[in-house]
Amino acid sequence: MTDDALDPLIHVPARLRIVATLAALEPGDTLSFTRLQDMIGLTPGNLIVHLRKLEDADYLTSDKTGNGAGSRTTVALTSSGRAALDAYTHTLRDLLGGL
Amino acid sequence: MDEARNSSEAGIAGEDGGLDPREAATLFEQTRLQARRQFEPAPPWLLVTRAVMVLVTCGAVWLSVRGQHSYQGPTAAVLPVVFTFVVVNLGATLLVAKRATSGVSGRSRLRRAEIIVMAVAWVAVFVVMGVLAGAGVSRAIVYGLYPTTVPFMVVGLAWAAIMAARANWRSCGTGLAVAVVGAVGAFAGPAGAWAVLGVGLFVVFVGNAAATAWAQRRTGPR
Repeated sequence: MTDDALDPLIHVPARLRIVATLAALEPGDTLSFTRLQDMIGLTPGNLIVHLRKLEDADYLTSDKTGNGAGSRTTVALTSSGRAALDAYTHTLRDLLGGL
Repeated sequence: MDEARNSSEAGIAGEDGGLDPREAATLFEQTRLQARRQFEPAPPWLLVTRAVMVLVTCGAVWLSVRGQHSYQGPTAAVLPVVFTFVVVNLGATLLVAKRATSGVSGRSRLRRAEIIVMAVAWVAVFVVMGVLAGAGVSRAIVYGLYPTTVPFMVVGLAWAAIMAARANWRSCGTGLAVAVVGAVGAFAGPAGAWAVLGVGLFVVFVGNAAATAWAQRRTGPR
């Protein structure tokens, strides 16, 4: 097995950190964009780009409520996102012979 | 942390960032552990601190009442200790929980009905205590056995029921353990119940801290 077996959407440092952070939430919970940005330490623009890629792959959902300055965006992993992360960590374990 | 952040920035610049599987595994483990710690509303350090404080507080009360021939209740000298414990514990708990759950919404947050159940449980036990005092029940019961046993049985069971409904078995176990401590205290007499309460809650909180630390470090999804 080679590195190519790792999901390329997750196998990027920024997105790996995003997915690992969201996976630490209880299932059914969502996280605000600002808290995620604070935890990951990316600029808003960079974070939006990575979130959009993950959302396009149906790995996460985002929800925006309110308008203007009072708007709030929340994100959460989908079940396919959790499954993809599980598959990714299994592949990592196989590559490393145990994580 | 810095290492993780640096490698993260490298990833943004080059997308693949030259991440080899070992680096990926390290980054994943660091991020997961860090996130679990930050999302934990009752971290192990807080639980251990609470355990020590409850042991000291109940121990101080027990020392003040154990020599009383007819139970009169805690002396005025220990009331500042109790007051300090209540204020510090409540303040630290709310502060840490607020920070941990900032930006988090959804299933893990207590629902309005669950908050009402817990509030009613707390208020009800002290309303009954007032009724007992008004009815002339002995001080040994009203200011000794009752406050060291009944609130913990009622609130512990209410919490266990709510957590069982959520299938949160670790928190359910904590609620049951608190209720058991209250029940055991009922057999120790009004003075001994303070000692049982202090030691019992100390064990419960330290056990809970160990379980939380283990859960944060275990492999696999939350």
